[in-house]
Amino acid sequence: MEELGHVYQLLVPVGGYTMTFNLNVIIMTWIVIALLLLFGYATARKRNRIPGPMQVVGELFVSQLYGLTEDALDKELARKYAPLICALFMFLVLCNWLGIIPRLEEPTKDLNTPLSLGLMGFFISHYLGIKTKGFKGYIKEYFEPIFFMMPLNVIGELAKVISISFRLFGNIMGGSIIILVVSYLTYSVLLPPFLNMFFGLFVGTIQAFVFTMLTIVYISVQVK
Amino acid sequence: MASELHTWIEVAAFMGGGIAMGFGAIGAAMGEGHTAASANAVMMRNPAIKGDIFKTMLVGQAVAESASIFALVIAILLLFTRFHEVSYMPVAALLGAGISMGFGAIGSGIGSGFPSATACEGIARQPEATQKVTTVMLAGQAVAQTPAILALLISIILIFKEFPASDTILFAPAAALIASGLCMGIGAIGPGIGEGIAASGGVTWVARNQENAGQIIRLMLVGMAVSESTAIYSLVVSLLLIFVV
Repeated sequence: MEELGHVYQLLVPVGGYTMTFNLNVIIMTWIVIALLLLFGYATARKRNRIPGPMQVVGELFVSQLYGLTEDALDKELARKYAPLICALFMFLVLCNWLGIIPRLEEPTKDLNTPLSLGLMGFFISHYLGIKTKGFKGYIKEYFEPIFFMMPLNVIGELAKVISISFRLFGNIMGGSIIILVVSYLTYSVLLPPFLNMFFGLFVGTIQAFVFTMLTIVYISVQVK
Repeated sequence: MASELHTWIEVAAFMGGGIAMGFGAIGAAMGEGHTAASANAVMMRNPAIKGDIFKTMLVGQAVAESASIFALVIAILLLFTRFHEVSYMPVAALLGAGISMGFGAIGSGIGSGFPSATACEGIARQPEATQKVTTVMLAGQAVAQTPAILALLISIILIFKEFPASDTILFAPAAALIASGLCMGIGAIGPGIGEGIAASGGVTWVARNQENAGQIIRLMLVGMAVSESTAIYSLVVSLLLIFVV
């Protein structure tokens, strides 16, 4: 049980402060990026009217997520933001699946990854909110229904970021803790592969989808 | 003194871990049972799509479970982390963390069972709506878990907060830490259930009227945000109790 909460860190002193890098997370994220680039290359290499097997998989991904974005936002915004949503979903799915390979860890197990993605969604949705409603209309929404509700409305908006990122973090962290504890108790015999399947593939996919879906929903709430 | 302090902190951590997982298991189990009951009932109404109903039930239950997975994370953290033993304050903080997460997981667990139950019904009534209903169900369940996630946040703050070294026991600040756990934990029960009810209404009507799904989802989310505001009051008061009082 010693490896619980153990993080390899790179400490870089910059002027009086120390910058901390979690090496594990960075390396795992780069592995995910490399795999995604490979996937992109394999799907788009031989584009044809009669698609090959890889192209079918890629088209399936893109068209499904495109449809999802179009349902929530209108056509113009969907054209602009569907690529972002696709990339977000593919990145998260691969991150959550990475843990099923021995010795690799999910980058989403570290709070930094979900929190930064959550902040990205937050800034995009608020930028779009200001752009469509104008600065005045945007600010006015915080003073509804009564003006003194403003601080609570602001906290409510911040709670969205916290909830979206801690949900992913908690689920992935919880799954890996359960796998660790059960492997420790059963000496890694028989049970862990099934748990890996459930928490890595099943819950990982659902949570990646939920994260993506909520990002779209937050954008659509700001825009409409 | 040092060994006595060590004992007290261990006692608090074990108690907190037990409370977190013990209470945290209640809600999710009830919610999942509700989903399973509904899936059973509608399986008889429309046996032709039992595969879809089974899939929806499983996905809904897996999402509803995350409230108690959060409780498990906190319980394991409390049981296996080595805490700094410099003052008596962590004793209260660890107990508070357990209480916050334990009670906080109840409401969201029960609440996120409702949308998945109505999603099974909706799919049985209207199999063409399966994809939309599943999407709305997932969004609704995820938002209904926000109170549990706020409780998770308070627990993590309480576990990893650092206290200045001292040998004396200060009762009032210690009580404030336990109170912040109680405030967030109990405050999260109602919003969790309420948001679940709102989400289940949204799922029902998306299943009946797919064309207006966008409007229904938006109204559902606004309603959920309003019922969530009470959880946010609890969050504010808990943060005040931890950092200001």
